[in-house]
Amino acid sequence: MAHCERASKPLLQCLQKASTRGLPALQLSSTRAFQTSARVQEEAQSEAQKQPFNKSPDPALVSSPRLERRLIRQGISPVGSRRRRAALQGSANIPFAQLPYQCFQEARKVLLQDREEKLEEITRLREKIARLEARPTEEAGGEQVKKSRLGGMQKHLEHLKVLADINDPQVKKKFEDGQGDMSKPIYRYLADQKWREYRRKILVQRITQMKVVPDVLPHCDPIVDTKLYFNRSAVQPGDFVQANASTTAPKLDIQLFEGGEKLVTIAVVDPDVPNLETDSFDFRTHYLAVNVPISAISTKVDLAQLSADSQVVLPWEAPVTQKGSPYHRLSLFILEQKDSQPLDFAAVKAKESVRDNQLLRTLQGRYHLKAIGAHLFRSQWDETTLEVMEKIGFPLADVELRRKKIDPLPYKRRNPSTFR
Amino acid sequence: MRPLSPVLASLANVFRIPISQTLARPAIGHLNAQPGPVTAAAQPAAARTFSSTNALFKRKGGLKTDRRITLIRYFLHHPLTPRPLRFSRTRYLRHWTIHRAWQLFQNQQRRTQTLELERQWHAMNDACEELRTGAGDGGRLFRKSMNKRGVFRDMFPIEYGRLQTETPAQEGWNHGWVRPERR
Repeated sequence: MAHCERASKPLLQCLQKASTRGLPALQLSSTRAFQTSARVQEEAQSEAQKQPFNKSPDPALVSSPRLERRLIRQGISPVGSRRRRAALQGSANIPFAQLPYQCFQEARKVLLQDREEKLEEITRLREKIARLEARPTEEAGGEQVKKSRLGGMQKHLEHLKVLADINDPQVKKKFEDGQGDMSKPIYRYLADQKWREYRRKILVQRITQMKVVPDVLPHCDPIVDTKLYFNRSAVQPGDFVQANASTTAPKLDIQLFEGGEKLVTIAVVDPDVPNLETDSFDFRTHYLAVNVPISAISTKVDLAQLSADSQVVLPWEAPVTQKGSPYHRLSLFILEQKDSQPLDFAAVKAKESVRDNQLLRTLQGRYHLKAIGAHLFRSQWDETTLEVMEKIGFPLADVELRRKKIDPLPYKRRNPSTFR
Repeated sequence: MRPLSPVLASLANVFRIPISQTLARPAIGHLNAQPGPVTAAAQPAAARTFSSTNALFKRKGGLKTDRRITLIRYFLHHPLTPRPLRFSRTRYLRHWTIHRAWQLFQNQQRRTQTLELERQWHAMNDACEELRTGAGDGGRLFRKSMNKRGVFRDMFPIEYGRLQTETPAQEGWNHGWVRPERR
């Protein structure tokens, strides 16, 4: 018998005795108390649970190693730790909202009443918005006034929707478990808060410290959470990526924290291509795709899977760094298209066919884009770069860059007579 | 030798009483890792060979740990220090629920108080305005009432004789109070 079983409640012993003797009635009544599901579901399940516990152990309650092994052999893994399962066997398993603590119940009453008030306010505000929308523009005080009033009311409505649910412990628990439904405003709000707490700070720090923000774009205020994956492994903002890992286009996970769908342009720009003639650095566009739909629910974007005849303007080009050149910053920008209107793909494709020295600032001005997300990775010369260069036919694969040696100034005697 | 109880051991440690060779908990000298003469002698020679500090560094005096850090470590690891407060998941959620409800309740209370004050201020404002325009004496009464001359000069409100508190004092007003004589 395991440790935790010995320590658990006497109900466990009762349970096991019952199961060995094959007393289905007691077995059934004790397991039913552990379930939080609805009554109807229990009735449906009761047929399957007629047999004793050791014949069909419950993965949420099993705690003896022998039964666990049997379950694992069947392909069902036990839920949680053995200690937790043993403790659950003896618990009354009351739903969280009905836990019999006076202060807790009083607090729930306060919160529920507040929620009722908020819901009332939401319905009132909705009616108000509908009334304002129904009024003709002249009566409402002109186009501009009506628009600004409606905008303010919509904003307040979104705020109220968040406020109605923010005090719910079940919502908090669900969000912490990662089961939040992103189509609901409260979970989007919580996810946004969490992102802004740490990940966004890191991202902003990396893109500003590595000077991507003044180099590639003059300004970027990220409002979408972007994760980048090469071959299923996540890349932190600013990480060095091996050349052979980045031969295939990355996958993106773009989390939008607003409702509705947005059409975005995705561009990967390298501002560090060495130019030996001018002794400076050039830009190169490694990827450009337009009209990519993102929303709070559908977040995955595979850059290799986007359609070539309606989205991808410039397909992925593997980033390589020549030996001896400083590291290249590969900056990825997610730019929102104006009013989420699709761009004319054929026109864009005809115009943006050159990769070299294509400035993202120009594109931004030309198509009225706004940067809403960014990511960054770096590439440098490593042992796989040569191989990748040969594969993609990089022209200067056999060139190693060297720092120009500066001739020292002619010797001058120190401490000359003028110093004395 | 039977090990001491942790409380006794720590007391012995505080008062530097050499009761046992094997202390139940590290002494202050061990905590701040200063190679004092006593501890160095007490340590077996085998321990010194495994030291990762190089000899020159050690001869120079080693790393001086801040006294404050030593004290923090001492009290953190003291057996009488209570363990950190840990909640289970559900208990934390219950705690959070109560906390949020309390914050909400306080917020509502503050809001009602502010609104009440605002209402009172506006009522007084309206009354003054009525007095100024509606009394029919050209605003004379209003001007008289707004006059602050002599306020707190000739007479001082006795309520301000002591600090304003929410509840009355325990012994009420001390009528027998006289000003202490100054020498």
